[in-house]
Amino acid sequence: MNFGEFVFIILMLVTMIGALTTVLSGSIIYAMLGLVTTMFGIAGLYVYLNAPFLAMMQILIYVGAITILIAFAIMLVGPLYQKPKEWTTITKFVLALMVSLFSFLMLFKVIMRTPWAGGKAKAFRITTTDIGRMLFDKLALPFELISLLIVVSIIGAVMLALFSKGEK
Amino acid sequence: MTGDFLSGNLYIYLYISLFLLCCGILGILYRKTLIGMLISMELIMNGAGLNFVAFNRFTAPDNAYGMVFTLFIMGIAAAEAAIALGIIILIFRKFKHIEGGAIKEMKG
Repeated sequence: MNFGEFVFIILMLVTMIGALTTVLSGSIIYAMLGLVTTMFGIAGLYVYLNAPFLAMMQILIYVGAITILIAFAIMLVGPLYQKPKEWTTITKFVLALMVSLFSFLMLFKVIMRTPWAGGKAKAFRITTTDIGRMLFDKLALPFELISLLIVVSIIGAVMLALFSKGEK
Repeated sequence: MTGDFLSGNLYIYLYISLFLLCCGILGILYRKTLIGMLISMELIMNGAGLNFVAFNRFTAPDNAYGMVFTLFIMGIAAAEAAIALGIIILIFRKFKHIEGGAIKEMKG
């Protein structure tokens, strides 16, 4: 095993442990920190998939933007000691675990049995230049629609904050 | 054996994204607060993005559609998180809690 494989295994473990922390931790702020760990692990996996631009975007958007947004929301919804405990009844947890394990086993079998076209790595020469060219050439309409969606969501968030009647 | 036995294998990435998907399903089903459900949904979206990039890398290495769609997924996730957190804060203002199971009416 060389050094690259060692780092890859560490990234895999970071991703999985972060996901387990996100799901299983009792406090919501620890769940958010687990989400940050998972995002860093996935950014490392993107580097191994020859997509360094996506890794940087992952860190910028998820770790930088979405997690900060979630942290602000956690802080705005009251003090921590008033929050309900995340652990629900044991029956609900066991049922949720059963659903999750069932879907895991089913999709595991699907992945095992399907002969994917490229099991082995081939030469891959897509760079950031190609991604930018594709965004403005073939996929220009979805790109503009995404910007429209983000504008609509910003206006919607401002409207929700300004003109809500729930405030006393 | 070459050096990229693990990192050059498509199945490893598929299993990692499957693990993320199942963690997200578990979180959405049993979490009590709405923010916990939103965080679990971000896990599912990340699993989908990882799947897109892995398939782009291994089965279609000539174009970059998977990477571009992962960028789109990130944009949609950001917009969705903004709207969902705004709604959660409104729910907190109205009901004084954010437990998903205890919200009985959603009017006005």
